[in-house]
Amino acid sequence: MTTPLLIGLLAGAILSGTSLLYATLGETLAERSGIVNLGLEGILLTGASVGFAVTVITGSAWLGLAAASLAGGLVNALFGWLVVTRKANQLASGLAMMFFGFGASALIGAPYVGAVIAGLPKWRPSWLAGLPWVRSTTLFNYDLLTWLAVPVAILVWWALFRTRWGLGLRAVGESPAAAFAAGRNPAALQYQALCIGGMLGGLAGAHLSLSLTLTWAEYMTAGRGFIAIALVIFSKWDPLRAIAGALLFGGAEALQLQLQARGSAVSPFVLEMSPYLLTLLVLLAWGGARRLAAPASLGRTFYGSN
Amino acid sequence: MPESGALTALRNSGAARSVVRTGAICAIALAVFAAILLAAGKDPLKAYQDTFRHTLASAYGFSELVVRMTPLLLAAVAVALPSRLGLINVGGEGQIYMGAFMASAGAFLFPGAPAWILLPVVVSMGFLGGAIWAAIPGVLRAAKLVNETVTTLLLNYVAPLIVSYFIFGPWRAVENSAYPQTSVFPAGAQLPTYFDTRIHAGLFIALVSLLVYWAVMEKTRWGIEMRAIGGNPEAAQRLGIPVPVWIVAALAIGGGFAGLAGMGEAMGVAGRLRQSLSPGYGFTGFLVSWLAGGRPLEILFMAFLFAIITSAGDALQITQGLPYAVINILLATILFIVLASRSAPGTRR
Amino acid sequence: MKSSFGVFVSGLVLACCLAAQPALAQQPKLIIGAVYVGSVNDYGYNRSFHDALTQVARDLPGVKLIEAENVPESGEAESVMEGMIQQGAKLVVPTSFGYSDSARKVAKRHRDVAFEFAGDGDTERNFGVFFGSTQRAMYPMGVAAGKMTKSNKLGFVVGIPIGYALGNVNAFQMGARSVNPNVQTIVVVTGGWSDKAKEAAAANALLDQGCDVVSMHVDSPATIIQAVEGRGAMSIGFQSIEARALAPKGWITGLGFTWAPFFTSVAKSVMAGTFRGEAVYKGLGEMVAVGPFGPSVPADVQALVKKSADEVAKGFNPFTGPLKNNRGGTALPSGATVGADQMGSMNWYVEGVVGRVR
Repeated sequence: MTTPLLIGLLAGAILSGTSLLYATLGETLAERSGIVNLGLEGILLTGASVGFAVTVITGSAWLGLAAASLAGGLVNALFGWLVVTRKANQLASGLAMMFFGFGASALIGAPYVGAVIAGLPKWRPSWLAGLPWVRSTTLFNYDLLTWLAVPVAILVWWALFRTRWGLGLRAVGESPAAAFAAGRNPAALQYQALCIGGMLGGLAGAHLSLSLTLTWAEYMTAGRGFIAIALVIFSKWDPLRAIAGALLFGGAEALQLQLQARGSAVSPFVLEMSPYLLTLLVLLAWGGARRLAAPASLGRTFYGSN
Repeated sequence: MPESGALTALRNSGAARSVVRTGAICAIALAVFAAILLAAGKDPLKAYQDTFRHTLASAYGFSELVVRMTPLLLAAVAVALPSRLGLINVGGEGQIYMGAFMASAGAFLFPGAPAWILLPVVVSMGFLGGAIWAAIPGVLRAAKLVNETVTTLLLNYVAPLIVSYFIFGPWRAVENSAYPQTSVFPAGAQLPTYFDTRIHAGLFIALVSLLVYWAVMEKTRWGIEMRAIGGNPEAAQRLGIPVPVWIVAALAIGGGFAGLAGMGEAMGVAGRLRQSLSPGYGFTGFLVSWLAGGRPLEILFMAFLFAIITSAGDALQITQGLPYAVINILLATILFIVLASRSAPGTRR
Repeated sequence: MKSSFGVFVSGLVLACCLAAQPALAQQPKLIIGAVYVGSVNDYGYNRSFHDALTQVARDLPGVKLIEAENVPESGEAESVMEGMIQQGAKLVVPTSFGYSDSARKVAKRHRDVAFEFAGDGDTERNFGVFFGSTQRAMYPMGVAAGKMTKSNKLGFVVGIPIGYALGNVNAFQMGARSVNPNVQTIVVVTGGWSDKAKEAAAANALLDQGCDVVSMHVDSPATIIQAVEGRGAMSIGFQSIEARALAPKGWITGLGFTWAPFFTSVAKSVMAGTFRGEAVYKGLGEMVAVGPFGPSVPADVQALVKKSADEVAKGFNPFTGPLKNNRGGTALPSGATVGADQMGSMNWYVEGVVGRVR
């Protein structure tokens, strides 16, 4: 039975988009506090390799998942030390973390290449399985990370926009000096954002190795970290919009493969380009209202206090 | 901001100081990396010995360093030039690919032409490709629409896809099992190589570019104006200086240099256009420029250092059985040390 | 500042002293350098070479093997091969098509080193080319798939659409067609030899299209086989028959490379000084083997596949005209054939394949 293109596309987009969404949420938190982490790719790779290694060693994908998340948080905390405490240039520090991630993940993962794991278990509620088109596809047959992806996005949104903590975080992102004057601790808030963001990034990487591909290979994230950085911009630093963005970007990859499976003639490269061009167009359209989109102090180092 | 005589004297002794500083950083980084090697069960002394023999102690090894350095020099200038104006160019990767793309287009347009026509065509097209690709973010920034950090980063993804489209499609060579790559470039377009190594004429282009960069920044009115504008763009605007024009020009010219790197890699190293054109030279170039503070002489040192490190990766893989990617930890360690030590405000970025 | 300068200088002196020490004694008779585009633990292409070469190093006395994994198909490969030659390698085996340019350049520079390149192209005195003719061997695989499929849709994931991959797809489809006239093969290209996430997505896309048997030509079949197994479909392996461990239920059969005998004879000829670069393409029974059958394959299907495999081993060439391509035109006119050494330039899909060559 052949699934219609839209269903197949949706199924593929959800699978592909899960890790993108977690990565985007992590980076959104960081950027909302005013810090750009170009090394997101390194965090994802670290999460993927640590998660896989721990799963192979302990036999439990849950332990692997926890380890991946922890590793991501630690690496981002290291990044935080560089940019918050040592007040280093954020772009250069981010790239340094990217290189670190490349190397550390290769070293950690090397002994486990080719190991076979069962991966994260998948569930599908039986009432959903009865729906047409669903049983023969991957729809609604997801592991925990995919099931929780949207709830986590909502949680992040709620934390950012409905809590005092989030308010403080956003204030730091707009103007650390003003936030400091109002009694907030910019450094502490930025560290917190980075740690949580790093943990989300670790989960994103783990999804690739523990669920999607059930393997580890060097550089296996294939640029997803950078895609997530673009996604943060595309979704205007809003976790809810990030859901749509992750589906769109995940869908672009799925689309070209699904179209190929239908014998279509559209060039896969043109299709893969489209999300980025779309992001550029969207940025252009918002150009006038730019001030309302990005955190004003994004990328700037705050020298006012420790 | 005019410079006092004291500052000038300090900066003149900076060359020697930077050599020493580089050496101290390397020593610490080597020690940290040795610890990591020990943890991975390898003998650090032997590893370093093999690496040294592979990279510096053999003529071929040294030539490899030069080959790796060439695109890094250009990619670093591509970042350093706009940075004088306060602009951030992380789009080196994309500019490299577009430079290679346009240069390839030029080569395929005039396949029969002799080298003295085709080489200048190819070089100009290479520069043009990178320049156009960087001018787009430049225009967007000049019109105050989008920050150039974002646009240069985004365009990095688009350029390799454009190249892939042509490699898999209209430009695909049918020989060699139809592997996705172009045919070998016409002989007139290929950069000559020297001493039976992979060193190619792109090296001269890179060195000349570095020289030009130094000369323009230090010796011409433009260079001094650039720094002034970068320091206070609003004031410059009020004085009637066409800041938007400067923005576009700086990014475009910077991008052009990156385009030359792409041209060099395609015409000088590979001899054809392939997907594997650049292993991240754009980003490495950013780091080289940043570590060097945008200063030409230090760019030369840093590019050399990066070349040694990446070359060491091969040696480590072949002699120690370590994955090549591990070399990135050494790179990251060096960066960490530099980043962590530049803590005081007012330090040159 | 003076002290750090001193550290720097003494470090440099120490480094020079270390470099001057001679290498340890105990010279092996032959050092083989192998360059892989992926990891040797990939249950696939790279593993097949690793297994064969380590066996050669075990069987022949005095042979040492140096390996470099995850070497990209770029100028980097040249640097790696030079490094191996510096280490004393006298036989270099670049195992991926994309190393062609780099390997040839290095071979020109070192006429005293033997090269065996896994691919096609010109041979030189010190540069031989070889490959396992999997294309004809894919025919019995297609027979198996054609008999086992219930949906009459077969899926095929291709990494990079080179001539050899197209040949595999075509033989697969023709084999399936020979036992099942309604069958079609859908091809999805991932664009790289080893992009795991794309391979998983490609497998899912094929299954969404209704395929229930999937085969592949990528470096490692592992990800695809696991994805297919997870959705309850069947798979036919490629590159290494060890991959059957990944699909206990859905594995039908598979092809694997058996390079060891070939490399043993090459190594012996290098050690004897009689190496001559030639084009060697061997098929089923020599460089390619059929894997064991999975538990769900009935005995009559197994017999049919074995019979087909025997025919291929005896010389049956499915690439014999007249053959139609999948655009309605003629792929091979009557009487024409495609030999193993011409497989690299195949540029058409046979009738019944859903996919575009360019």
